[in-house]
Amino acid sequence: MRASAMHIARRAILRAWIAPAALTLRAATSPDIAIVVRPDVPVDNLSFAELRRLMLGDRQFWSSNLRVTLLVRAPGAREREVVLKTIYQMSEAQFRQYWIAKVFRAEAASGPRIVYSNEMAAELAAAIPGAVAFVDAGQIPPGLKVLKINGLLPNQSGYPLH
Amino acid sequence: MKYAILALGLTLSMPRALTAQAADPATQELIQRLLARIDSLEKRVAELEKGAGPAKPPVPPAAVAAAPVPQPGPHTGHEQPPPPELPAAEAAQPVYPSLKIAGFSDLDFSASTLHGPSGGFGAQTLLSPHSGFEEGQFVLHLSSALSPKVTVFSELSLTARADAGTGAPSAAGFNPEVERLILRYDFNDYLKLSFGRYHTPINYWNTAFHHGQWLQTTISRPEMTQFGGSFIPVHFVGTLAEGVMPAGGLNLNYQAGLGNGRGQVLSRAGDFSDINNNRAWLVNLFLKPDQLYGLQVGGSVYRDELNPAAGPAAREWIQSAHIVWQKETPEVLGEFANVTHNFFNGVTSHSQAFYGQIAYRLPWFNKQWKPYYRFEQIHVPHSDALFRALVPTFSGSTIGVRYDFTSFAAFKLEYRNYQRRDLPSVNGIFSQTSFTF
Repeated sequence: MRASAMHIARRAILRAWIAPAALTLRAATSPDIAIVVRPDVPVDNLSFAELRRLMLGDRQFWSSNLRVTLLVRAPGAREREVVLKTIYQMSEAQFRQYWIAKVFRAEAASGPRIVYSNEMAAELAAAIPGAVAFVDAGQIPPGLKVLKINGLLPNQSGYPLH
Repeated sequence: MKYAILALGLTLSMPRALTAQAADPATQELIQRLLARIDSLEKRVAELEKGAGPAKPPVPPAAVAAAPVPQPGPHTGHEQPPPPELPAAEAAQPVYPSLKIAGFSDLDFSASTLHGPSGGFGAQTLLSPHSGFEEGQFVLHLSSALSPKVTVFSELSLTARADAGTGAPSAAGFNPEVERLILRYDFNDYLKLSFGRYHTPINYWNTAFHHGQWLQTTISRPEMTQFGGSFIPVHFVGTLAEGVMPAGGLNLNYQAGLGNGRGQVLSRAGDFSDINNNRAWLVNLFLKPDQLYGLQVGGSVYRDELNPAAGPAAREWIQSAHIVWQKETPEVLGEFANVTHNFFNGVTSHSQAFYGQIAYRLPWFNKQWKPYYRFEQIHVPHSDALFRALVPTFSGSTIGVRYDFTSFAAFKLEYRNYQRRDLPSVNGIFSQTSFTF
């Protein structure tokens, strides 16, 4: 009974205070977006052009035996907004149409898998060989490798995803 | 109690955080610590809600803040231990076959000044002596991964036609067609090998939009690549090798195919064996440079021997080129094709076609409006005994606007003018509602 009351109280506090504060503070700081993969992905660094080809589905293999699986946050997430703005340079509608057309042209079997939280992105990135996910640089889970972009890691000057 | 204290702390600190300057390191540090604390609490709440056994103790803020951002250095990642086995691992594994279905369809209206014969224009151009509504195509696209490297793609259509029904004379009805059926093995990015029925990859439009009218900006295809048309072979039955090579950032894409070529009806592919012992072959090359994101430029060559049911036999060469700017501000498409027929009686003819299309997604009204213009021309010399009765010689302009009233449906309205050789010009108003589902 006491535990249940504590649980409810914690949730109430979270919703009332912490979540709005988090949104406000995240907007204020705009942390970088990190690209994470499993450690067995045989790549440590991508140029921005290579990253774009990867996200466009033009590059579909890390190596001959390891296919790329794209994990993209659902609409509304900041990670998705950054990816669409900086990499795809597309609106939400253009992004949807791009992947419908890509599959329709038989250039890809399916579009990116949708993930609904950083936790889900991390779990799937760890579970699916070759998966690549975008997470807040402040929430990188242990056990995953952060890819450099143009030789830069998140929070370094010149890092492009923010 | 500790949560109440935390909430109080957040309340007191929020005004300072909101007004923090990016250059203030103390405030930045405070924000990072608070964010880390929030993240650890979110995780803790998630664990409690899952009820997944004994909850782990909260991660100290310092650890969370330090862990996410690896330091630059040569040892990024590879030395890390493999990720732990997670409950999501099983659920995340792909299941084969993994069938996915998408649909496309369109409904059209046309009214034109055409009176009499169309002069080579097919039904898909929507030129008709009578105005009215037309059911367009109902298209199902099916794709299924059979293994990590093997995928099947197919495209089925039901097309409304004046003569597809039963009875004599034939009533209107729907004509079913397997438009594409492809089984592909992906060795890697450099080589993908497939067999099946394709839209012949010697023309950008033919392989970019297929039968999904919603995908293309305009109502109708350019006449040089029109469904049911004969200028280029729209379909190709055979095998195709394709891939992409970085080529120093130019991203050289190639396609090389061997197939049956045209059937005895020139607008049809040789679906059931070849009509002669000469296979058609094609090579298509195009570049998508990294430095000019959105640009695609390329060309192709196609070779076949024709033995049509009506008309003289000939060897056919097709050379084509395209340049495309794929963004929508603006969208630019341009293609050219030359078809050479070497008739066995010694006559050689060259027929040419091209189009140029420009569109622009307007920045206002939620970017739902996209006006467009296209100019196209086909010239068939009188010496081309195969094309002169099948392919219209004309120049035409199309001006219109596309309105995307949802992300998956669009309304298009356009005006067209056709200047035909030896026939009166035609003007028309056309509309289309197209969608995917």
